[in-house]
Amino acid sequence: MTPEHLYEILSKYAASRGQQLNRDREFVIDILSGLLNNEERYGYRACPCRLAVGIKEHDQDIICPCVYKDPDIKDYGSCYCGLYVSKDWNEGIIEHRVVSERRPPERQE
Amino acid sequence: MEGQKKKVRLYSLSTCAVCKKVKQFLDSQKIDYEFIEVDMLDSGEQWLTSKELKKYNPSGSYPTVVIEEVIKGFDEPLLRKTLGIE
Repeated sequence: MTPEHLYEILSKYAASRGQQLNRDREFVIDILSGLLNNEERYGYRACPCRLAVGIKEHDQDIICPCVYKDPDIKDYGSCYCGLYVSKDWNEGIIEHRVVSERRPPERQE
Repeated sequence: MEGQKKKVRLYSLSTCAVCKKVKQFLDSQKIDYEFIEVDMLDSGEQWLTSKELKKYNPSGSYPTVVIEEVIKGFDEPLLRKTLGIE
């Protein structure tokens, strides 16, 4: 799997959820490279923007698309990583803010 | 500002695209900084470094930039400015 191939797949997935991939394609390809690196080293697609521990049960909530994606898009227009976004975010209708980490700190132990 | 400088540390992940943006920014500004790719450390160091990061940023999120001011002597105006005291 290449990042470009994954890009095509996830574009369709995002559209099916009424969402989009970040319009900055180069940035998205970079995120997807990290995602595929994590798949190679952990065996699953742990969020590349978070420190995974490598135990699937422990990292379940941050396997991309993570469980925090939809609430983050609702509140910020973007997921924590900036991979999945809303149409309004992509079109600059809503402000691009830093997305606060929603994952409880105790899950990062 | 002779004898005083800010120490900068970037806590990063090798897989994180936003971390790369911060790194590129610091590099473009020719900032001297300590660069730590936490996911590339061995498990013991990773644990310790994560603990260290959470002292500065309890959410433990990446990237995190820590900027420390070094102030020598009793430089009251600079202490006030740095501490945000009027």
